[in-house]
Amino acid sequence: MSQELIKLIDLSRCTACRGCQIACKQWNELPASRTKNTGSYQNPPDLQWNTWTLIRFQEHVDRSGSVKWLFRKDGCMHCTDAGCAKVCPTEALYHTEFGNVSLNVDKCIGCKACMYACPFGVPKFNAATNKIYKCDLCYTRLQGNQPPACVLSCPTGALQIGPKDTMLNKAYKRVKELGGDANVYGDKFVDGTHVVYVLPEKAEVYDNLPKDPKIPLQIIVWKEFLKPAGLMVAGAVVAGAFLHYITHGPKMPEEETTSEGGTTS
Amino acid sequence: MRKGLIKATRPFERVVHWCLALSCFLLCITGMGTMYHSLNFIGAVIGGMANLRMLHHYGGLFFGVSLVVAIGLFWKEAGRFSAKEDWPWIKEGGGFLWHVENIPEVGKFNPGQKIFFLVVALGGAAMLTSGLLMWFPLSFSKQLVRTMYVVHSLGFLFIFAFVFVHLYLVTIGAPGSSPAMFTGWVTRGWMKKQHPKWLKEMEKNGTLEVYGGNGGNKTSSS
Repeated sequence: MSQELIKLIDLSRCTACRGCQIACKQWNELPASRTKNTGSYQNPPDLQWNTWTLIRFQEHVDRSGSVKWLFRKDGCMHCTDAGCAKVCPTEALYHTEFGNVSLNVDKCIGCKACMYACPFGVPKFNAATNKIYKCDLCYTRLQGNQPPACVLSCPTGALQIGPKDTMLNKAYKRVKELGGDANVYGDKFVDGTHVVYVLPEKAEVYDNLPKDPKIPLQIIVWKEFLKPAGLMVAGAVVAGAFLHYITHGPKMPEEETTSEGGTTS
Repeated sequence: MRKGLIKATRPFERVVHWCLALSCFLLCITGMGTMYHSLNFIGAVIGGMANLRMLHHYGGLFFGVSLVVAIGLFWKEAGRFSAKEDWPWIKEGGGFLWHVENIPEVGKFNPGQKIFFLVVALGGAAMLTSGLLMWFPLSFSKQLVRTMYVVHSLGFLFIFAFVFVHLYLVTIGAPGSSPAMFTGWVTRGWMKKQHPKWLKEMEKNGTLEVYGGNGGNKTSSS
Protein backbone atom coordinates (compact mmCIF):
# COMPACT_ATOMS: atom_id res chain seq x y z
CA MET A 1 0.00 0.00 0.00
CA SER A 2 1.58 3.24 -1.03
CA GLN A 3 -1.14 5.63 -2.05
CA GLU A 4 -1.74 9.16 -0.83
CA LEU A 5 -3.81 9.04 2.33
CA ILE A 6 -5.95 11.62 4.03
CA LYS A 7 -7.03 11.67 7.64
CA LEU A 8 -10.50 13.18 7.75
CA ILE A 9 -11.55 14.98 10.93
CA ASP A 10 -15.29 15.51 10.96
CA LEU A 11 -15.73 17.98 13.83
CA SER A 12 -19.49 17.68 13.64
CA ARG A 13 -19.07 14.18 15.04
CA CYS A 14 -16.45 15.02 17.69
CA THR A 15 -17.63 14.76 21.30
CA ALA A 16 -14.31 15.89 22.77
CA CYS A 17 -13.79 12.62 24.60
CA ARG A 18 -10.05 13.10 24.07
CA GLY A 19 -9.58 9.42 23.37
CA CYS A 20 -7.35 10.39 20.43
CA GLN A 21 -5.20 12.55 22.67
CA ILE A 22 -4.62 9.65 25.05
CA ALA A 23 -4.19 7.04 22.31
CA CYS A 24 -1.54 9.26 20.71
CA LYS A 25 0.37 9.53 23.97
CA GLN A 26 0.10 5.79 24.57
CA TRP A 27 1.17 4.62 21.13
CA ASN A 28 4.00 7.13 20.84
CA GLU A 29 5.04 6.62 24.50
CA LEU A 30 4.80 10.33 25.25
CA PRO A 31 4.92 11.29 28.93
CA ALA A 32 2.40 13.70 30.42
CA SER A 33 3.37 17.14 31.69
CA ARG A 34 1.97 18.62 34.88
CA THR A 35 -0.41 21.48 34.08
CA LYS A 36 -2.65 23.87 36.01
CA ASN A 37 -6.43 24.05 35.83
CA THR A 38 -7.21 27.22 33.92
CA GLY A 39 -10.96 26.77 33.89
CA SER A 40 -11.05 24.91 30.60
CA TYR A 41 -11.27 21.27 29.67
CA GLN A 42 -8.51 22.04 27.21
CA ASN A 43 -5.48 20.41 28.73
CA PRO A 44 -2.59 20.89 28.14
CA PRO A 45 -3.23 24.46 26.94
CA ASP A 46 -1.37 23.97 23.65
CA LEU A 47 0.47 21.36 21.59
CA GLN A 48 3.72 20.35 23.27
CA TRP A 49 6.77 18.34 22.31
CA ASN A 50 5.04 15.47 24.09
CA THR A 51 1.46 16.30 23.03
CA TRP A 52 1.12 15.86 19.30
CA THR A 53 -2.63 16.14 19.20
CA LEU A 54 -4.95 18.13 21.38
CA ILE A 55 -8.67 18.77 21.61
CA ARG A 56 -9.27 22.51 21.75
CA PHE A 57 -12.38 23.63 23.67
CA GLN A 58 -13.92 26.92 22.66
CA GLU A 59 -17.08 28.74 23.66
CA HIS A 60 -18.44 30.55 20.62
CA VAL A 61 -21.33 33.00 20.44
CA ASP A 62 -22.86 32.90 16.97
CA ARG A 63 -24.75 35.65 15.13
CA SER A 64 -28.07 34.72 16.72
CA GLY A 65 -26.55 35.14 20.17
CA SER A 66 -26.59 31.47 21.11
CA VAL A 67 -23.53 29.87 22.65
CA LYS A 68 -21.90 26.90 20.99
CA TRP A 69 -19.23 24.70 22.44
CA LEU A 70 -16.74 24.02 19.68
CA PHE A 71 -14.26 21.18 19.76
CA ARG A 72 -11.30 20.92 17.44
CA LYS A 73 -8.67 18.21 17.27
CA ASP A 74 -5.47 20.15 16.64
CA GLY A 75 -2.25 18.67 15.30
CA CYS A 76 -0.04 18.37 12.24
CA MET A 77 -1.90 18.98 8.98
CA HIS A 78 0.67 17.05 6.89
CA CYS A 79 0.91 19.66 4.11
CA THR A 80 1.91 18.73 0.58
CA ASP A 81 3.90 21.98 0.31
CA ALA A 82 5.21 21.63 3.87
CA GLY A 83 7.12 24.61 5.27
CA CYS A 84 8.81 22.41 7.86
CA ALA A 85 10.19 19.97 5.30
CA LYS A 86 11.21 22.88 3.08
CA VAL A 87 13.45 24.44 5.73
CA CYS A 88 14.75 21.33 7.48
CA PRO A 89 18.52 21.38 6.82
CA THR A 90 19.05 17.68 7.48
CA GLU A 91 15.93 16.23 5.86
CA ALA A 92 14.84 15.00 9.28
CA LEU A 93 11.35 16.14 8.23
CA TYR A 94 10.34 14.42 5.02
CA HIS A 95 7.38 13.25 2.97
CA THR A 96 6.62 9.54 3.00
CA GLU A 97 4.98 7.46 0.30
CA PHE A 98 1.61 8.19 1.93
CA GLY A 99 2.05 11.94 1.58
CA ASN A 100 2.34 12.58 5.32
CA VAL A 101 5.29 14.47 6.81
CA SER A 102 7.31 12.14 8.98
CA LEU A 103 10.15 12.96 11.35
CA ASN A 104 13.44 11.15 11.69
CA VAL A 105 14.30 12.37 15.17
CA ASP A 106 17.87 11.06 14.97
CA LYS A 107 18.56 13.49 12.13
CA CYS A 108 17.11 16.54 13.91
CA ILE A 109 19.79 19.00 15.03
CA GLY A 110 17.46 21.31 16.94
CA CYS A 111 17.81 24.32 14.64
CA LYS A 112 14.10 25.13 15.17
CA ALA A 113 13.64 26.55 11.65
CA CYS A 114 10.57 24.33 11.14
CA MET A 115 8.86 26.06 14.08
CA TYR A 116 9.04 29.33 12.14
CA ALA A 117 8.10 27.86 8.77
CA CYS A 118 4.98 25.95 9.82
CA PRO A 119 1.80 27.99 9.21
CA PHE A 120 0.03 26.01 11.95
CA GLY A 121 2.65 26.23 14.74
CA VAL A 122 2.92 22.46 14.99
CA PRO A 123 6.57 21.49 15.60
CA LYS A 124 7.49 21.83 19.28
CA PHE A 125 10.95 21.91 20.80
CA ASN A 126 12.23 19.84 23.70
CA ALA A 127 15.20 21.56 25.34
CA ALA A 128 16.18 18.36 27.19
CA THR A 129 16.87 16.45 23.98
CA ASN A 130 17.54 19.53 21.80
CA LYS A 131 15.13 18.21 19.19
CA ILE A 132 11.71 19.03 17.80
CA TYR A 133 8.76 16.67 17.82
CA LYS A 134 5.44 16.45 16.02
CA CYS A 135 2.80 14.03 14.77
CA ASP A 136 4.01 11.68 12.02
CA LEU A 137 0.53 10.31 11.34
CA CYS A 138 1.76 7.08 12.98
CA TYR A 139 3.94 6.37 9.96
CA THR A 140 5.03 2.97 11.27
CA ARG A 141 1.40 1.96 11.73
CA LEU A 142 0.57 3.09 8.18
CA GLN A 143 3.44 0.94 6.95
CA GLY A 144 1.81 -1.97 8.74
CA ASN A 145 -1.52 -1.18 7.09
CA GLN A 146 -2.96 -0.01 10.40
CA PRO A 147 -4.81 3.23 11.06
CA PRO A 148 -3.11 5.91 13.18
CA ALA A 149 -3.66 5.46 16.93
CA CYS A 150 -6.01 8.48 17.11
CA VAL A 151 -8.22 7.14 14.31
CA LEU A 152 -8.34 3.70 15.92
CA SER A 153 -9.42 5.19 19.23
CA CYS A 154 -12.19 7.45 17.92
CA PRO A 155 -15.57 6.11 19.10
CA THR A 156 -17.81 8.36 16.99
CA GLY A 157 -16.28 8.11 13.55
CA ALA A 158 -15.11 11.70 13.66
CA LEU A 159 -11.69 10.42 12.63
CA GLN A 160 -11.21 8.34 9.49
CA ILE A 161 -8.29 7.58 7.21
CA GLY A 162 -8.31 6.43 3.63
CA PRO A 163 -7.31 7.18 0.03
CA LYS A 164 -7.21 10.88 -0.81
CA ASP A 165 -10.10 10.95 -3.28
CA THR A 166 -12.39 8.79 -1.13
CA MET A 167 -11.85 10.97 1.90
CA LEU A 168 -12.35 14.25 0.01
CA ASN A 169 -15.58 12.91 -1.49
CA LYS A 170 -16.77 11.93 1.97
CA ALA A 171 -15.83 15.36 3.30
CA TYR A 172 -17.79 17.22 0.64
CA LYS A 173 -20.76 14.88 1.01
CA ARG A 174 -20.80 15.49 4.75
CA VAL A 175 -20.59 19.26 4.29
CA LYS A 176 -23.59 19.09 1.98
CA GLU A 177 -25.50 17.11 4.62
CA LEU A 178 -24.62 19.59 7.34
CA GLY A 179 -25.42 22.70 5.30
CA GLY A 180 -25.12 26.17 6.79
CA ASP A 181 -21.57 27.34 7.38
CA ALA A 182 -20.10 23.85 7.18
CA ASN A 183 -17.05 23.64 4.95
CA VAL A 184 -14.09 21.49 3.99
CA TYR A 185 -10.77 22.78 5.30
CA GLY A 186 -7.41 21.62 4.00
CA ASP A 187 -7.62 20.83 0.30
CA LYS A 188 -7.33 24.40 -0.99
CA PHE A 189 -4.00 25.60 0.42
CA VAL A 190 -0.35 24.50 0.76
CA ASP A 191 -1.07 22.24 -2.23
CA GLY A 192 -3.51 20.31 -0.08
CA THR A 193 -3.08 18.90 3.40
CA HIS A 194 -3.19 15.22 4.31
CA VAL A 195 -5.36 16.03 7.31
CA VAL A 196 -8.67 17.50 6.23
CA TYR A 197 -11.38 18.96 8.45
CA VAL A 198 -15.11 19.07 8.07
CA LEU A 199 -15.74 22.30 9.97
CA PRO A 200 -19.34 22.93 11.08
CA GLU A 201 -18.49 26.64 11.42
CA LYS A 202 -16.47 29.01 9.23
CA ALA A 203 -12.71 28.59 9.59
CA GLU A 204 -12.19 32.05 11.09
CA VAL A 205 -14.45 31.12 14.00
CA TYR A 206 -11.95 28.58 15.36
CA ASP A 207 -9.15 29.60 17.71
CA ASN A 208 -5.61 29.03 16.44
CA LEU A 209 -6.82 27.99 13.00
CA PRO A 210 -5.47 30.20 10.20
CA LYS A 211 -8.14 31.11 7.66
CA ASP A 212 -5.72 31.10 4.74
CA PRO A 213 -2.57 29.27 5.85
CA LYS A 214 0.55 29.98 3.82
CA ILE A 215 4.23 29.36 4.18
CA PRO A 216 5.54 32.72 5.48
CA LEU A 217 6.92 35.04 2.77
CA GLN A 218 10.36 35.23 4.41
CA ILE A 219 10.65 31.45 4.28
CA ILE A 220 9.83 31.46 0.55
CA VAL A 221 12.37 34.24 -0.12
CA TRP A 222 14.96 32.34 1.90
CA LYS A 223 14.54 28.87 0.48
CA GLU A 224 13.20 29.44 -3.02
CA PHE A 225 15.19 32.52 -4.00
CA LEU A 226 18.24 33.34 -1.84
CA LYS A 227 19.37 29.74 -1.36
CA PRO A 228 19.96 29.04 -5.07
CA ALA A 229 20.95 32.67 -5.73
CA GLY A 230 23.83 32.37 -3.24
CA LEU A 231 25.52 29.77 -5.41
CA MET A 232 24.61 31.40 -8.72
CA VAL A 233 26.01 34.80 -7.75
CA ALA A 234 29.24 33.23 -6.52
CA GLY A 235 29.50 31.28 -9.77
CA ALA A 236 28.96 34.46 -11.76
CA VAL A 237 31.69 36.18 -9.77
CA VAL A 238 34.17 33.38 -10.44
CA ALA A 239 33.32 33.50 -14.14
CA GLY A 240 33.60 37.29 -14.07
CA ALA A 241 37.02 37.14 -12.42
CA PHE A 242 38.25 34.73 -15.08
CA LEU A 243 36.90 36.98 -17.85
CA HIS A 244 38.56 39.96 -16.22
CA TYR A 245 41.87 38.11 -16.13
CA ILE A 246 41.79 37.07 -19.79
CA THR A 247 40.40 40.35 -21.15
CA HIS A 248 41.59 43.21 -18.96
CA GLY A 249 44.44 41.36 -17.30
CA PRO A 250 45.95 41.64 -13.84
CA LYS A 251 47.39 44.77 -12.28
CA MET A 252 51.06 43.91 -12.41
CA PRO A 253 53.65 45.50 -10.14
CA GLU A 254 56.04 47.92 -11.78
CA GLU A 255 58.91 46.46 -13.74
CA GLU A 256 61.55 47.53 -11.29
CA THR A 257 60.68 44.64 -8.97
CA THR A 258 63.99 42.88 -8.97
CA SER A 259 65.67 40.61 -6.50
CA GLU A 260 67.44 43.67 -5.21
CA GLY A 261 64.18 45.34 -4.39
CA GLY A 262 64.47 47.66 -7.32
CA THR A 263 65.65 51.14 -7.93
CA THR A 264 63.71 53.98 -9.32
CA SER A 265 64.69 55.16 -12.73
CA MET B 1 63.27 38.06 3.12
CA ARG B 2 65.08 39.99 0.48
CA LYS B 3 66.93 43.22 0.93
CA GLY B 4 64.93 46.24 -0.15
CA LEU B 5 61.46 44.88 0.61
CA ILE B 6 59.03 47.28 2.22
CA LYS B 7 57.06 46.60 5.37
CA ALA B 8 53.35 46.93 4.57
CA THR B 9 51.60 45.34 7.55
CA ARG B 10 52.18 44.81 11.25
CA PRO B 11 52.09 41.29 12.76
CA PHE B 12 48.96 42.08 14.80
CA GLU B 13 47.15 43.28 11.69
CA ARG B 14 48.03 40.05 9.91
CA VAL B 15 46.90 37.89 12.84
CA VAL B 16 43.54 39.68 13.03
CA HIS B 17 43.08 39.45 9.28
CA TRP B 18 43.87 35.71 9.34
CA CYS B 19 41.44 35.16 12.23
CA LEU B 20 38.75 36.88 10.18
CA ALA B 21 39.67 35.01 7.00
CA LEU B 22 39.82 31.55 8.56
CA SER B 23 36.64 31.97 10.60
CA CYS B 24 34.85 33.33 7.52
CA PHE B 25 36.03 30.32 5.54
CA LEU B 26 34.92 27.95 8.31
CA LEU B 27 31.52 29.66 8.49
CA CYS B 28 31.03 29.46 4.72
CA ILE B 29 31.86 25.74 4.71
CA THR B 30 29.78 24.82 7.77
CA GLY B 31 26.95 27.14 6.75
CA MET B 32 26.77 25.70 3.26
CA GLY B 33 26.90 22.19 4.71
CA THR B 34 23.75 23.12 6.65
CA MET B 35 22.01 25.05 3.88
CA TYR B 36 22.43 22.64 0.98
CA HIS B 37 21.33 19.03 1.42
CA SER B 38 23.85 17.94 -1.20
CA LEU B 39 26.61 19.26 1.09
CA ASN B 40 25.36 17.50 4.23
CA PHE B 41 28.33 15.14 3.88
CA ILE B 42 30.47 17.92 5.37
CA GLY B 43 28.62 17.23 8.62
CA ALA B 44 29.35 13.51 8.38
CA VAL B 45 33.07 14.29 8.28
CA ILE B 46 32.96 15.84 11.75
CA GLY B 47 30.55 13.38 13.30
CA GLY B 48 27.11 14.62 12.36
CA MET B 49 25.08 17.63 11.46
CA ALA B 50 24.60 18.63 15.09
CA ASN B 51 28.39 19.02 15.38
CA LEU B 52 28.40 21.05 12.17
CA ARG B 53 25.78 23.35 13.65
CA MET B 54 27.80 23.80 16.86
CA LEU B 55 30.97 24.46 14.88
CA HIS B 56 29.06 27.11 12.92
CA HIS B 57 27.81 28.73 16.14
CA TYR B 58 31.14 28.84 17.97
CA GLY B 59 32.95 29.69 14.74
CA GLY B 60 30.49 32.58 14.49
CA LEU B 61 31.44 33.80 17.96
CA PHE B 62 35.14 33.67 17.00
CA PHE B 63 34.31 35.55 13.80
CA GLY B 64 32.39 38.13 15.83
CA VAL B 65 35.34 38.81 18.13
CA SER B 66 37.74 38.99 15.17
CA LEU B 67 35.36 41.34 13.40
CA VAL B 68 35.14 43.74 16.34
CA VAL B 69 38.94 43.81 16.69
CA ALA B 70 39.37 44.28 12.92
CA ILE B 71 36.88 47.13 12.81
CA GLY B 72 38.66 48.82 15.70
CA LEU B 73 41.99 48.32 13.99
CA PHE B 74 41.12 49.50 10.50
CA TRP B 75 38.23 51.90 11.01
CA LYS B 76 40.34 55.06 10.99
CA GLU B 77 42.26 54.17 7.85
CA ALA B 78 39.69 52.19 5.86
CA GLY B 79 36.34 53.38 7.15
CA ARG B 80 36.55 57.00 6.15
CA PHE B 81 36.11 58.26 2.64
CA SER B 82 37.44 61.52 1.31
CA ALA B 83 35.62 62.75 -1.79
CA LYS B 84 38.63 64.76 -2.94
CA GLU B 85 40.98 61.81 -2.94
CA ASP B 86 38.62 58.86 -3.50
CA TRP B 87 36.24 60.17 -6.17
CA PRO B 88 38.79 60.46 -9.02
CA TRP B 89 39.93 56.89 -8.30
CA ILE B 90 36.35 55.58 -8.28
CA LYS B 91 35.61 57.42 -11.57
CA GLU B 92 38.49 55.54 -13.19
CA GLY B 93 37.48 52.23 -11.59
CA GLY B 94 40.89 52.16 -9.96
CA GLY B 95 42.32 51.07 -13.29
CA PHE B 96 40.85 47.61 -12.71
CA LEU B 97 38.01 47.78 -15.21
CA TRP B 98 39.35 49.53 -18.30
CA HIS B 99 42.64 50.96 -19.44
CA VAL B 100 43.68 54.01 -17.46
CA GLU B 101 46.94 55.76 -18.30
CA ASN B 102 47.48 57.42 -14.95
CA ILE B 103 45.57 55.87 -12.09
CA PRO B 104 44.64 58.56 -9.54
CA GLU B 105 46.85 58.11 -6.52
CA VAL B 106 45.30 57.22 -3.17
CA GLY B 107 46.67 56.54 0.31
CA LYS B 108 47.09 53.32 2.28
CA PHE B 109 43.64 51.98 1.38
CA ASN B 110 42.13 52.62 -2.02
CA PRO B 111 38.36 53.26 -2.27
CA GLY B 112 37.81 49.69 -3.46
CA GLN B 113 39.43 48.39 -0.30
CA LYS B 114 37.40 50.85 1.75
CA ILE B 115 34.17 49.66 0.18
CA PHE B 116 35.31 46.11 0.85
CA PHE B 117 36.00 46.98 4.46
CA LEU B 118 32.54 48.52 4.84
CA VAL B 119 30.86 45.48 3.33
CA VAL B 120 32.77 43.20 5.68
CA ALA B 121 32.05 45.42 8.71
CA LEU B 122 28.34 45.97 8.04
CA GLY B 123 27.71 42.57 6.46
CA GLY B 124 29.61 40.85 9.25
CA ALA B 125 27.60 42.71 11.88
CA ALA B 126 24.37 41.74 10.11
CA MET B 127 25.49 38.09 9.95
CA LEU B 128 26.49 38.13 13.62
CA THR B 129 23.18 39.67 14.74
CA SER B 130 20.95 37.50 12.57
CA GLY B 131 23.01 34.43 13.45
CA LEU B 132 22.62 35.00 17.17
CA LEU B 133 18.85 35.38 16.78
CA MET B 134 18.73 32.18 14.74
CA TRP B 135 20.75 30.41 17.43
CA PHE B 136 18.30 31.47 20.18
CA PRO B 137 15.06 32.02 18.25
CA LEU B 138 12.65 31.14 21.06
CA SER B 139 13.36 34.44 22.81
CA PHE B 140 12.16 36.49 19.84
CA SER B 141 8.98 37.02 17.84
CA LYS B 142 8.23 34.72 14.93
CA GLN B 143 8.25 37.52 12.36
CA LEU B 144 11.63 38.77 13.57
CA VAL B 145 13.23 35.32 13.42
CA ARG B 146 11.79 34.69 9.95
CA THR B 147 13.24 38.01 8.77
CA MET B 148 16.61 37.03 10.23
CA TYR B 149 16.65 33.94 7.99
CA VAL B 150 16.38 36.31 5.02
CA VAL B 151 19.07 38.65 6.39
CA HIS B 152 21.43 35.74 7.02
CA SER B 153 21.01 34.17 3.59
CA LEU B 154 21.20 37.56 1.85
CA GLY B 155 24.38 38.31 3.82
CA PHE B 156 25.79 34.97 2.71
CA LEU B 157 25.03 35.82 -0.91
CA PHE B 158 27.07 39.04 -0.68
CA ILE B 159 29.89 37.70 1.46
CA PHE B 160 30.38 34.51 -0.55
CA ALA B 161 30.51 36.53 -3.79
CA PHE B 162 32.92 39.02 -2.21
CA VAL B 163 35.17 36.21 -1.01
CA PHE B 164 35.88 35.27 -4.62
CA VAL B 165 36.48 38.87 -5.72
CA HIS B 166 38.86 39.23 -2.79
CA LEU B 167 40.67 35.95 -3.50
CA TYR B 168 41.05 36.87 -7.17
CA LEU B 169 42.45 40.32 -6.45
CA VAL B 170 45.01 39.21 -3.88
CA THR B 171 46.26 36.34 -6.01
CA ILE B 172 46.35 36.48 -9.80
CA GLY B 173 44.38 39.73 -10.10
CA ALA B 174 47.07 41.86 -8.49
CA PRO B 175 50.25 39.77 -8.23
CA GLY B 176 52.56 40.64 -5.37
CA SER B 177 49.74 41.42 -2.94
CA SER B 178 49.68 38.22 -0.92
CA PRO B 179 53.04 38.69 0.86
CA ALA B 180 51.37 41.58 2.73
CA MET B 181 49.20 38.93 4.37
CA PHE B 182 51.98 36.38 4.97
CA THR B 183 55.28 38.03 5.79
CA GLY B 184 54.15 41.64 5.70
CA TRP B 185 57.01 42.59 3.36
CA VAL B 186 56.14 43.68 -0.20
CA THR B 187 58.25 44.81 -3.14
CA ARG B 188 58.80 48.43 -3.95
CA GLY B 189 57.48 47.83 -7.46
CA TRP B 190 54.20 46.51 -6.09
CA MET B 191 53.99 49.43 -3.71
CA LYS B 192 54.55 51.93 -6.53
CA LYS B 193 51.82 50.33 -8.60
CA GLN B 194 49.20 49.71 -5.92
CA HIS B 195 49.78 52.39 -3.29
CA PRO B 196 52.05 55.11 -4.73
CA LYS B 197 50.75 57.85 -2.49
CA TRP B 198 51.12 55.73 0.63
CA LEU B 199 54.74 55.03 -0.36
CA LYS B 200 55.39 58.76 -0.80
CA GLU B 201 53.70 59.54 2.50
CA MET B 202 55.83 57.01 4.35
CA GLU B 203 58.98 58.29 2.67
CA LYS B 204 58.05 61.83 3.56
CA ASN B 205 57.21 60.99 7.16
CA GLY B 206 60.26 58.77 7.55
CA THR B 207 58.07 55.82 8.55
CA LEU B 208 59.11 53.66 5.61
CA GLU B 209 60.72 50.43 6.79
CA VAL B 210 62.99 48.79 4.24
CA TYR B 211 64.31 45.30 4.84
CA GLY B 212 68.04 45.23 5.36
CA GLY B 213 68.16 48.83 6.47
CA ASN B 214 67.19 52.07 4.83
CA GLY B 215 70.66 52.67 3.44
CA GLY B 216 70.88 50.26 0.51
CA ASN B 217 68.58 50.90 -2.39
CA LYS B 218 66.59 53.51 -0.63
CA THR B 219 65.49 56.30 -2.90
CA SER B 220 64.74 59.00 -0.41
CA SER B 221 67.91 60.88 -1.29
CA SER B 222 66.31 62.68 -4.19
